[in-house]
Amino acid sequence: MELKLADLIEVLDCEIVQTLGNGSIIIRIGKEEHNLRLLKLETNEFEFILDHTFHHAKIIQSNSIETKILIDGQPLTVKKHLKLTQVLGKSLAMVESGGGANNLTSQIPGRVVSVIAETGMPIKKGDSVVVLESMKMQVAVKAHKDGNLKEIKVKQGAAVARNDIIAIIE
Amino acid sequence: MAAKISSILIANRGEIALRIIRACRELGIKSIAIYSDEDARSVHVRRADEAYHIGPAAASESYLNINKIIELANSVGADAIHPGYGFLSENEKFAEICENNGIIFIGPKSKAMEVTGDKMKCKAIMQKAKVPTVPGSDGIVEDVELAANIAHDAGYPVLLKSAFGGGGRGIRLANNEKQLKQEFEIASAESRAAFGKAALYVEKFLERIRHIEFQLIMDSHKNGRHIFERECSIQRRHQKLIEMSPSPIVDKKTRERVGEIAVRAATAVDYLNAGTAEFLRDQQGNFYFIEINSRLQVEHPVTELVTGIDLVKLQIAVAQGEEIPFKQEELKMHGCAIECRINAEDPFSDFAPSIGMVPNCNISSGPGIRVDTYLYPGCNVSGYYDSLVAKLISWGNDFEESRIRMKNGLSEFTIEGINTTIPLFKTIMDEQNFIKGDLSTDYLERFSIINKMNEDAKERSKKNSSAAIATVLLQTEFVKKSGRIIPTDVAQSNLSWKKMTGK
Repeated sequence: MELKLADLIEVLDCEIVQTLGNGSIIIRIGKEEHNLRLLKLETNEFEFILDHTFHHAKIIQSNSIETKILIDGQPLTVKKHLKLTQVLGKSLAMVESGGGANNLTSQIPGRVVSVIAETGMPIKKGDSVVVLESMKMQVAVKAHKDGNLKEIKVKQGAAVARNDIIAIIE
Repeated sequence: MAAKISSILIANRGEIALRIIRACRELGIKSIAIYSDEDARSVHVRRADEAYHIGPAAASESYLNINKIIELANSVGADAIHPGYGFLSENEKFAEICENNGIIFIGPKSKAMEVTGDKMKCKAIMQKAKVPTVPGSDGIVEDVELAANIAHDAGYPVLLKSAFGGGGRGIRLANNEKQLKQEFEIASAESRAAFGKAALYVEKFLERIRHIEFQLIMDSHKNGRHIFERECSIQRRHQKLIEMSPSPIVDKKTRERVGEIAVRAATAVDYLNAGTAEFLRDQQGNFYFIEINSRLQVEHPVTELVTGIDLVKLQIAVAQGEEIPFKQEELKMHGCAIECRINAEDPFSDFAPSIGMVPNCNISSGPGIRVDTYLYPGCNVSGYYDSLVAKLISWGNDFEESRIRMKNGLSEFTIEGINTTIPLFKTIMDEQNFIKGDLSTDYLERFSIINKMNEDAKERSKKNSSAAIATVLLQTEFVKKSGRIIPTDVAQSNLSWKKMTGK
């Protein structure tokens, strides 16, 4: 199968070459073969020694496109079915440029402390639209592009989840 | 002489509540915890001798609810209240109500807090006591236009500070008039939301400064000691991230000189118990007093590790009228301690708060490592309270050993479910200017630390890429395809204990 790490460019072809005794497996990643010794194998949790180095892996989220993993506590994303992803990626990008790009979303969960910008007014990228409070911090949600502020979707005092739409800028 | 304390109500939560509970245990004092709805499963509830529900999740109705806390303290017969840091720790009204109810407030008297809490009043007293303060404008500014005028006269950049703020909250930087006006609105709103009153003042921003503070302890017998300095220059948005003792640029002579000024500052406001005198140091080596924090500081473990003094036990001793058990010249500094504040914030997306369940975590240990935390596998990191989830503190015979041990500690610390500042600290511990001790409050920007952290993260991804690919391969081949969790050939013949032990 072909896999790719989200941060890296290289696409790697990989497979299980051979299952030996004692939980030992030989796998091939790209051109290189590696020794893997399985210690723990559960639905979402693996422990193995890969080329003499211990790793604990936990699968956080997995779908047909990508798998989010914690390797020794560090988050990594592995992309799968690359050809399909490319097709989907293109169509997603088209949707984005159509409607999604106008939505200003919140990157954090929080409570709306104040609404700063006014509906119907022109707005510049980086201008504060609303101020949120979470963990005693006040964070301004800033316009992601220049345009006209068509609508503000939240009111003072409202609770906002991550990725909620705060405003629409056209 | 105050009576001996036999029970303490801890008006706080999280790691600091736990820290105080531990001191109580050592002293044979009954610890009484309070908790909000949100904190019923928190660790301080589990460890205290007694725990009482105090109200809903919102701090204003629980940990800040003075009436309820006093009522509870009276009904359970608590001798004393330890406020920790944050919440009611610097609220002079709370201290006064404690005094009126015959409850020992473990901290300064309300009168002294009234002065230290009012930065302008404090500044005036310090000038009288010949304690050097930051040059610039005086007085509270209520009007945005007036603020702009003062800033113009002082010269940009300027800082906007809340007179009632603390711990860096409500401090904003303005580089020009447009920014000043924008920030003024936000800062006054923030101050109103947090303290019920908006009182800002404008101060000239000194560039490339270090933040260095002195730990103080004052008793009721007119004794005062400084317990050396902490370098707290590595900050983000005026919030400390890393603290250490000693400071790389404070020598013995400077330590004695500025320490003496710190004790003088505390004496000038008739201070009692533990506190911290904060100073700014400019590039020419001048120290300017900025404020006294009238509480136990978050970063107090750094001082504890280099002096061997238990500051919380010392606080309790002083609160029950004892004399400070050591002389200034008896104090010795041994080795070097570094603290990293592990916050539930995502350093990869502008330190956005990160909240939720922590299904699993591994807390560092080993030589020279101390961890003060409320984390445990299965705990909840709430959005209602501040983002500090753990303090990782390292000690070594010198800076280098302490730094290497901190690296060890950081590599062992894993917290699942939330994002934390750990990757940032990993980058800083290996950063050349940090190692050289070239620190300033703009350290992160000056040396593009966030970019370096992103690069480091990429490197780590590369290093872990084989393991990640192997994981997905295992998942696909063994978990998904077979429809069974463990394929028979691996599970039965190869992974069995009999095979492994060779029997």
